[in-house]
Amino acid sequence: MTACRARALWPSLACLIAGCGSVDPSTTAPGGLPAPSISVGTALAVEQNLSRTLDDTPRSLDPHLSTDNPGQRVLDDLFEGLTSVDIGGKPAPGVASSWESSADGKTWVFHLRPDARWSNGAPLTAGDFVYSLRRVVNPKTGAEYAQGLAAIDNALAIASGQKPIDALGVEALDEHTLRVRLSGPTPYLLDLLSQQYAYPVYQPAVTRYGDDWVRPEHIVCNGPFVLRENVISSRITLEKNSNYWDAAHVRLQRVVYYILADRSTQVSRFMAGDVDWTDSFPSNQRPWLKSVLGEQVVNSPYFGTYMLGMNFALPPFKDNQPLRQSLVLALDREPMARYMRLGIYQPAYTLVPPLPGYEQPLPDWARLSDQARHALARSLYAQAGYSERHPLRVNLESSRQDPDARHYYEAVAASWHSVLGADVHVYEREFKVLLQELQLHKLLLFHYAWIGDYPDPYTFMQIFYTGNGNNHDSYSNPSFDRLIDAAGQEPDNVRRYRLFEQAERVLDDDAAYIPLYFYATRHLVKPYLHGWQSNVMDRNLSRYMYLLEHQQR
Amino acid sequence: MLRYTARRLLGAIPTLLVIVTLAFVLLHAAPGGPFDAGKRILPEIQKSIEAKYHLDEPLWRQYLRYLGDLARGDLGPSFQYRGTSVNEIIAQGLPVDATIGVTAIALALAIGGAVGVNAALRRGTRWDYGTMAFAVAGISTPVFVVAPLLILTFAVTLHWLPAGDWVGGSPSHLLLPAIALALPYTAYIARLMRGSTIEVLNSAFIRTARAKGLPLRLIVWRHALRPTLTPLVSFLGPAIAGLLTGSIVVESVFGLPGIGRHFITAALNRDYTLVIGITVLYGGLIILFNLLADLCYAWIDPRVRLR
Repeated sequence: MTACRARALWPSLACLIAGCGSVDPSTTAPGGLPAPSISVGTALAVEQNLSRTLDDTPRSLDPHLSTDNPGQRVLDDLFEGLTSVDIGGKPAPGVASSWESSADGKTWVFHLRPDARWSNGAPLTAGDFVYSLRRVVNPKTGAEYAQGLAAIDNALAIASGQKPIDALGVEALDEHTLRVRLSGPTPYLLDLLSQQYAYPVYQPAVTRYGDDWVRPEHIVCNGPFVLRENVISSRITLEKNSNYWDAAHVRLQRVVYYILADRSTQVSRFMAGDVDWTDSFPSNQRPWLKSVLGEQVVNSPYFGTYMLGMNFALPPFKDNQPLRQSLVLALDREPMARYMRLGIYQPAYTLVPPLPGYEQPLPDWARLSDQARHALARSLYAQAGYSERHPLRVNLESSRQDPDARHYYEAVAASWHSVLGADVHVYEREFKVLLQELQLHKLLLFHYAWIGDYPDPYTFMQIFYTGNGNNHDSYSNPSFDRLIDAAGQEPDNVRRYRLFEQAERVLDDDAAYIPLYFYATRHLVKPYLHGWQSNVMDRNLSRYMYLLEHQQR
Repeated sequence: MLRYTARRLLGAIPTLLVIVTLAFVLLHAAPGGPFDAGKRILPEIQKSIEAKYHLDEPLWRQYLRYLGDLARGDLGPSFQYRGTSVNEIIAQGLPVDATIGVTAIALALAIGGAVGVNAALRRGTRWDYGTMAFAVAGISTPVFVVAPLLILTFAVTLHWLPAGDWVGGSPSHLLLPAIALALPYTAYIARLMRGSTIEVLNSAFIRTARAKGLPLRLIVWRHALRPTLTPLVSFLGPAIAGLLTGSIVVESVFGLPGIGRHFITAALNRDYTLVIGITVLYGGLIILFNLLADLCYAWIDPRVRLR
């Protein structure tokens, strides 16, 4: 079992604020604004101060307690794990400069940089990692993402209170050598170790200050930047850490994260020239933003899938594969993604978003013409026992998280109505209410979205495993579980991926979920900001960024 | 007067207690808890988090614990921002809202008052109709339209003022949010002042003053102004309390670190302590400003006796 970000289901509660303010600049912002003209030079700007935005206030700056995306952004700048990510989001050496693994892939030895130090100058040793990783799985810490370390031997048993914390498969061989024992081969271990829950924390600060250790006056970190200021709901200011091992290559002197829960506000601050990089923008503003800002509007595939879940334990979906499949087939994903999601998001026919090396097993029905697919959907619908006189009546339950999701779901319901004659009503609930209903397995047809934690199919596959806490479908198929188990023991990544592809086919045969579309990142980036690349995990470390000379008129 | 004030303040305690109790019961009755997330947490870890925040105790004990802490002025730890106390969040946000609120009220009183009295004095003229039309437009234009328009004009297009942020209340950062917030109040005050000025100008004692041959300016300043303030004061009491605790929309559009925004996010995230804390603060301020308004009546209108 692995962790997925808290925003797994709903990107941000804060969108609601935008909703409640009804700040919909498609009505208030005229499309024909003059584009701010910016001339960019080739030399580095004299002042290397970057302003970025966050969609929400990080819930915590303790890397082991952080669960949200804004938190991860800031923590990626403040801390560094055994591994880090490079400019393209791929695992790269971090505190460990090199590593080797045993032939069975279950034992890894990491060699730490002798020059790795904490921001207060103290040496950073293998012992710090032993302390930190144990702290994450210690139930007393209350780390919601302790499951992220499940790959490490005994991690789950310790987090469940069944074993003492020193049973964790992490051991300091000497000051600069760390051995990690795993419960099974984990090809994505290097990705896992670059996550915030695998970051080291400074024991003396944690012991001395307790919960307060993350305050700017107490915090000791080991990343490219240090924390200078943290004003809740307003801004977080970071400054370059001169004790960072690679400080010579960090060009930014200061990074300010402005917390702007209202995405329209992020746009106006960007347009006003106050920020250089936004975390997002309202998707319904993309057309006019594109016309005004051109290349400064950046969308790229993101490792997340929007789908609908169905309850396998209750009628009408229980033991009714034809009905489930008719709903899957009746949707025209291409036009819906193009018109309803403004072309930002790619239509989804499978579970795992595009991933290098992984071949999405495109189902046969996805290749049918619209008419043939609709006809097939209608015959399945009839086979399931429904007709125009006895239509399927069910609520599509979603949350009010995303102001434009409602339109999409209305389109989904309308498609089902026009193709099948089904009577589906979109019903919005408050986020926490929806969560509770999901956990009680009371909902029949519901919004379900998932953002992968690390670039590996497993992060998506696990949610359909029998008994998984996030398996709100109550889906269970022994042959699917067997494939996932086999993949878990398979050290060869190519063969592993083939197993996952087979598992996806099982899900498709069962019509286990209704795929809708794959996520995309949404950033506004000034042309003079360099040193970053779109990547599927959307991790953009300030460490690599720099500003070029520019003039804004 | 002193006895009256003391009695009113003591009377506020049961009111606040009712507010706290209602907020506590309603929040805990709402489905979902502060640590329910999109991703399931291991039961042992969930238990340890709940124990840390005393959520594992029976509700009545949590309630008594909260009241005990409240009596000591401790509003408890925030659930959604782990490691941060509610006191801290309010201490960080209240000055921001108070600064903007006071600026907005000052603007609204100065402009709205002047415009309203002038309109009353030139009743039936173009000036009167013009300003009152403007006032109606001001009342009916929502802040979420005005604020982005202000940003578009003065920040994005003209680059005169910043589009948001809060740099310790610097005047340039303060101006746009204060104007956005002040506009509906200005309009309301203008209409209020116009109405009450017309009413007072028609009353017997003003006629007497006119009959004595006093110039109009003197009549307005010396005799008419004070009685016209009565409706204004009853409006301002709750209005100021509302302004001090922040405008969710203005905070959101300008990205200001006030507490208004927390109120919503905290309720949605089931951050029990933060919601109750802000509710208590809001309730306390409303009680306080209503009391101040009542005290003002006595000062404005000698016929009012406070007992």
